[in-house]
Amino acid sequence: MNIRKFICAASAIFLPSFAPGLDIAEVPEKHGDILAEYCFECHDSLTGKGGIDLEDLSFRIDAVGTAETWQKVLNAMNSGEMPPEDEPQLSDDEKIALLQDLSGQLVVAREQLSDTGGTSTMRRLNRREYENTIEALLGVRIEAENLPDDANSGGFDTTGSALFFSADQFEQYLAIARDALDEAFLFGKKKPKPVRVELEPETSKNAFLTKTSGTIKANYDKAQNWRNSDGSKPPSHFGLLDEFDVKFRERLYNQQYEGYRKYLDDPRTKDAVLLQPFFNGTNTVTVKVPNNAPRGEFRLQVFAKVLKGAERSETYIEYGFPGARSGEIERLGCVHVPSPKGKAEPLTLPVTVSSDGPRDIILRHRQHNNRDAARGTFLQSQQKTGTGPSAKLAIDKVILTGPHFETWPPRAVSEVFFKGMWWTQADQDTYAREIIARFARRAFRVRQPSPAFIDRLHKLYLEETNAGKKFYEAIREPLAIVLASPGFLYLAEPVGEGSGKKEKKTNLSNAELAVRLSYLLWSAPPDQKLMTDAKSGKLAEKGVLRAHAGRLLDDRRSDEFISSLAHQWLHMERLDFFQFDFRSFPEFDDSMKEAARSEVFETIRHILKNRLPASDLLDADYVVVNNLLADYYGLGPVEGNHFRKIPVPEKTPRGGFLGMAAVHAMGSDGNHSSPVERGVWVMRYLLNDPPPPAPPNVPQLSRVRGKLLSPREELDAHMEEAQCAQCHRRIDPIGFGLQNFDPVGQWREVLHLKKTKGRRVVAKKEVTIDPAGQLPDGSTFEDFYGLRREVAKHGEAFTRGFAEALIEYGLGRPYGFSDENLRERMLKRANAADGSMRELLLAFIESESFRRKK
Amino acid sequence: MKSSTKLTKMKTPALSSSRRSFLRSGSALIALPFLESLGFRRFASAAAAPTPPKRFAFLGMGFGVTSETWYPDQKDTGADYTLPEGLAPLAKHRQDLTIIQNLANQFNNEAHWGSTFWLTGANRYAEPGQSFHNTVSVDQVAAEALGNDTRYSSVQLSYKGTDNSGHGPGLSLAWNRQGKPVSALNTPVAAFHRLFSDDTTPLEQRQADLLKQRSILDTVLEDAKTTRRGLTKTDKDKLDEYLQSIREIEERLAKEKEWLEVPKPLPDPAPVEPDKSLQGAEEIKVMYDLMAAAMQVDTTRVFTYRQPLDSFIRSLGATITAHNMSHYQPGNRMDVSQMRDLEQSKLFAHFIDRLKSIKEADGSSLFDHTTVALGSNIHSIHYLTNCPTIITGGGAGIQHGRHLVMPPKTPLCNLWLSLLKGSGIEADSHGDSSGQIRELFVS
Repeated sequence: MNIRKFICAASAIFLPSFAPGLDIAEVPEKHGDILAEYCFECHDSLTGKGGIDLEDLSFRIDAVGTAETWQKVLNAMNSGEMPPEDEPQLSDDEKIALLQDLSGQLVVAREQLSDTGGTSTMRRLNRREYENTIEALLGVRIEAENLPDDANSGGFDTTGSALFFSADQFEQYLAIARDALDEAFLFGKKKPKPVRVELEPETSKNAFLTKTSGTIKANYDKAQNWRNSDGSKPPSHFGLLDEFDVKFRERLYNQQYEGYRKYLDDPRTKDAVLLQPFFNGTNTVTVKVPNNAPRGEFRLQVFAKVLKGAERSETYIEYGFPGARSGEIERLGCVHVPSPKGKAEPLTLPVTVSSDGPRDIILRHRQHNNRDAARGTFLQSQQKTGTGPSAKLAIDKVILTGPHFETWPPRAVSEVFFKGMWWTQADQDTYAREIIARFARRAFRVRQPSPAFIDRLHKLYLEETNAGKKFYEAIREPLAIVLASPGFLYLAEPVGEGSGKKEKKTNLSNAELAVRLSYLLWSAPPDQKLMTDAKSGKLAEKGVLRAHAGRLLDDRRSDEFISSLAHQWLHMERLDFFQFDFRSFPEFDDSMKEAARSEVFETIRHILKNRLPASDLLDADYVVVNNLLADYYGLGPVEGNHFRKIPVPEKTPRGGFLGMAAVHAMGSDGNHSSPVERGVWVMRYLLNDPPPPAPPNVPQLSRVRGKLLSPREELDAHMEEAQCAQCHRRIDPIGFGLQNFDPVGQWREVLHLKKTKGRRVVAKKEVTIDPAGQLPDGSTFEDFYGLRREVAKHGEAFTRGFAEALIEYGLGRPYGFSDENLRERMLKRANAADGSMRELLLAFIESESFRRKK
Repeated sequence: MKSSTKLTKMKTPALSSSRRSFLRSGSALIALPFLESLGFRRFASAAAAPTPPKRFAFLGMGFGVTSETWYPDQKDTGADYTLPEGLAPLAKHRQDLTIIQNLANQFNNEAHWGSTFWLTGANRYAEPGQSFHNTVSVDQVAAEALGNDTRYSSVQLSYKGTDNSGHGPGLSLAWNRQGKPVSALNTPVAAFHRLFSDDTTPLEQRQADLLKQRSILDTVLEDAKTTRRGLTKTDKDKLDEYLQSIREIEERLAKEKEWLEVPKPLPDPAPVEPDKSLQGAEEIKVMYDLMAAAMQVDTTRVFTYRQPLDSFIRSLGATITAHNMSHYQPGNRMDVSQMRDLEQSKLFAHFIDRLKSIKEADGSSLFDHTTVALGSNIHSIHYLTNCPTIITGGGAGIQHGRHLVMPPKTPLCNLWLSLLKGSGIEADSHGDSSGQIRELFVS
C-alpha cells in the first residue's frame, strides 16, 4: 500500500495498523497523515519536486529504491532541511515519532535488502584461514601481511560475497607460498644440534654505558672549556663544531649523564642488569639468536629477580623482537617474576624464530610500547628525582637454546617428500610427479585436482630441471602454484557433487561437512581423525558430528573461532583505534590491553567449555583472568599467565562484560570515556536492540561551544534537537550508568574535567558522577549495579543476538529473515540444557542449514 | 580468453639497436635528461618536439576539513575571493587554483567513507542482493586513455596500516572497471622501487621469467576450469574475480614484455631511496616528490594517492586520533583540525611548486599539462554535502584563480566528467554525472 491508497482507504474504513514484522520493513501507516500534511504540497505525484514523489511511495520497504527514498526523507528531516524553513513545521512529538519509526525500519530494511536472502556465496579463504591452512600443511606460520585484511569489510571475514580478489593478489599468493615452502623445508641429513647461548648481560651493558656516559662527559667538558674561556677562540678550537654543538652536548649531559652515573654506581649492577628507563628508552637485555642457527622453536631461560620497593604490578617482564622505533618491541609475551623464599627458578619463555625474521630477542620491564612514552616516563621522574625512575627488576643471566625439533626431518618434509629425499630415488622425474600430485590432493581438501592440472605442473618442473635447476628449486614452483590455485584458495561446494539422490543434492558430502566444521571451529582444514571419519562415512552416523564438534571445540585451536567471532561481532577493533595516554593511564600498556582483550575470549571459552549460559556474559559471580588482570582488578595475586576462573564478591563491579576493562576501553577514545559509544555498544550487543547508525549531515550543536561542560550537560544538548533526541534519549542514559568506569575500565567516583590549550590547562572542574538513568524499555536504575541488574534481565535477547552473529559467521552470509526458525530452534535446545551456550553452538552445527549447501 | 587476442594486438617496441645499446651502455642507474627519457619510443623517428602529454593526480585526504576556516565564504565568489585561513599557505598559487563548493555524491550515506566512492560516485546498494557495490573510478577511466604509452598505466599510492583515517573500504582511491579495489604501493620505499629501481637480472633471464609466468597462469587456469564445474551462478561470478585477476596480470605481462629492454629512466637529480621509518607529514612530502619525479620521466600519467591522516596529525604533535579530530568542537580537537588543514595546504603548495619547477620538452612545465584534485567525500564531521574540492594544474583547460559555488548537491561526478573532457578524453558520463560544469571553463 502506498500513501495515496492509504489516504483513500483511511477515509472510508478503519485499517488495522500492522506491527512491522521481521519479514519486511514497514513504515507505520499512521505517519501517512503527517506526510500528506507537511510534504505533499511539493512532493506529491503531480509536483514531485526534486524528483521526490512521496504520494506513490510504498510503506513496505521491500526494494532498494524504496529504501533509498525513505532514507532521503530521513536525512532531509534529520538535517532540518525539510520541511523548508518558511513552510509549516512538524511538532516535536510528530517529528520524533516519525523519525524513530523511520530510522528503526530502515535498519531492518538495510539488513534484509543488503544481501541475498539466505544464500552464501562460495568464498576464498580469508587471511586468517589462509595462514592457518598453510600452517596445517607445512608446519610453519607465515604472516600474510601483503594480502588484504579481510576483517575490514564491516561484516564478518567469513562472508563470501565480501571477500574480493584484487588485481595483484594472485602474485602475492604465489610469493607467500614460495616463502612458506622455503621456510618449511629443512633438508639436512641429521637433526641440527641445538645452539646454546649463555649471557651474563651486565658485562657488555656496563662497558657500553661506561663508554657512552664517558663520551657525554668528555664532550660536556669540552663545552665547558669553551664556556669558561675568554671567548676569543671558536668552539672548534675546543673540539666541538660550533655553538649549536655546544648547546647540544650540554643538553645531552643534562638529560642523561646523571642517570647513567647513578646506574653505574649502583653496586647491584656488578652482577646484573637493572631494567629501568633511561632517557633514550629503557635499559633492556638483548639476546641474539646466532645467524647460522636454523629456524625453529627456541627456549629462553631468564634468571630474573625482583628488587626492593617494587609493587606487584611492577614485577612483569615483557619480551619480543625489536619494534619499528627504538623503545618499541614486537611483543611476544609478558611474564611475572616471582620472589620465592629460596633459590629462584629461571623463567622459561618459548620463542619461534624464522629464517629471515628478526634474531634479536629483547627483554624489558613492562611498559607502554612507544618511544615517546619511554622518554616521557623518564623525564617525568627526572623532574622529581633528578635521575629518572629507579629499577624494579634485574636480570642476572639468560640462556638461549634451540632450535628444538620434535621429529627429524620436520613433519612437513616427510609428508611432502613421502618416499624420502629425492637423492635416494632412482627416477627423480617420476618421483616429482608423485610428490606434486600428492601435495595437490592434500592441499585441495575435497575436490581432486584434474590430471591435466597435474600434467601442467609436472611440465613446469621439467622445464625448470631442463633449465639446469636442482631438484628442490625445480619442484618448488609447481608446489607454490598449487597454493595459489582456485582449488586451494576457495572453499567450493559445487552442487553437482553432493551426497545422495537428486533431492538430496544440496546436502554437503561428508568430506565437505568435515571441511565446513573445521573451518568453523579452527579456521583451518580438518585433522586426520575428522577426515578419516568423513571418508569412511562414519560422520553421517548419529552423534559422530556432535562428538567431533565437541572435540574440536575443546582443542586450543578453537581459539581462532572464539576470538574471531567475538572480535568481529563486538567490533573490538575499537580497542586498537586509540593510543592510551601513558601519563594518565600508566598501567594500561600493551600487555594489559592484550590481557584485557583475551579476557573477553577466555570468558567465552570458559562458558562454552563448562556448558554455562551465554547470559553469564551479562552478569556473573566470577571472572576469568590471568595474573596481570587479577592485579589490575585488585582481586588479589594469582600465579601464572594462564586465564582461570576466580569468584568475585557480590558488590564488586567485576563479572560479565560490563565489568571488563576491554569493554570500557572500547567505549573511550584513549583519553575520555564516551557515554554515547558505551550506550550504543550496550544497546547493540547486550540488549540486541541496535540504534540506527549516526546519520550524515546532522547539524553541529553550536550552543555548547567553548564551554566546559560535563558529558551529561554536553549530551543534554542532544535532547534539545528533536532529530538528535529520538536516539540519544535511549542511548545516553546507559552510557551515564557506566560513567563510574574510567577510559581504561578502572572504578572512579568523580569526573575530572579539563579544558586545555596545547599542553596548558586553562579550566578545571570536578563533577560527582550521577549514574542514575533508565533503559530504553523504561526500567530505571540508581547506579551501575542497578544498571547491570536490569541489563541482565535481557538474557534472552542477548542470546538471540549472539545466535544471529554465530549464524552469520558460520554460514558466511548476513543473517536473514529465513534464519529466524533456525535461531529459535537453537535457543530452544540451549534452554533445554540450562541455557548452555555450548548446546546452542552444537544445535547450530547439527542443523539442516549448516549441513546444507548454500 | 579475451586477453590473448589483446596480446597479439600489442605493439612490439620500436627500438633501434643503437638506441638500445645507448640506453644500456651506462649503468642501469644512468640519469637521463628529460627529453631523452620522455616519449622517445613514440617519437624516435619524428623530428618535432612532442606535445607534452596530459596527466592526472587525485589526492584523497580522508576525513573532511574544518568547515569554518577551510571554505571561502559562499557569498564571496569569483576571482577576488578572500583565501581562508586553512588555505593560506596556497596564497602564492591562488591564480592557479579553483575552489569549488557544493559538489556531492548523492548516494554516499557512509559518514566515515571519504574515499570509497569519492572518484566513482557509485551507489553502494545499486546491485540488489549485494551489500557492497562500486564502479570504476575516474582515474582508471583516465588511465585507459592516457596509459598506453607509459610503463605503468596508472600508479596507486596509499599508506601502511588500517588505521581509521576516514577513507572507508578499498585498497587505494582506484576501482577497476568491475568495481573491484585496485591495490596500492603503501610506502615511499615501495613506490621508489616500483618507479625507479631496475631489475638487475640479465635480460635473457627476465625474458625466460616472463615466459614462465605465462605458463604459470595457464596452469592455474586449468584448475579454474575444474573448479567452475557445478558452481552456481553467484559462485561463478565469485570465481570470475580470480580469473579477472589473472587476466589483468596477463595484460600487465604483455606490457612488461614490451618494456623489458627499456631501463627505468631516472630524472635529474635522481631520487634516492626514502628512509623506511618515514611517517605522516614527511611521508606525504616524499610521496609528492616521487610522483613529480615519475611524471618528469613519464613513467606513468595517472596517480592516485590515498593519504595517511592518523599518522599525519600525530606527526604534527597531535595526541588524538583522526576520527576524534573530525568530530571537532572549539577546543583542542578544533585546534588539531585547523593545524591539519594548514599543514595539508603547505604540503599541497609544495607539490604544486614541484610540478611548476619541472620543465617539459617544449619549455612549458609539468604543471601546465597536469590536473590535480585534492578532496574527500566528507565535508567535515559527518556531513557529506559540499565535499571539499580544490583543482589545480593546466591539464584540463580550467580558468583557474576563482572560487565557484555551484547549486547545492551538484554531482561531484560532473566535475570528474569535466576534467576528463577538458583533457581530451572521450566520455559521455561518469558515475551519476548529469553533465559538465561549464563554469569551470568560462570566466
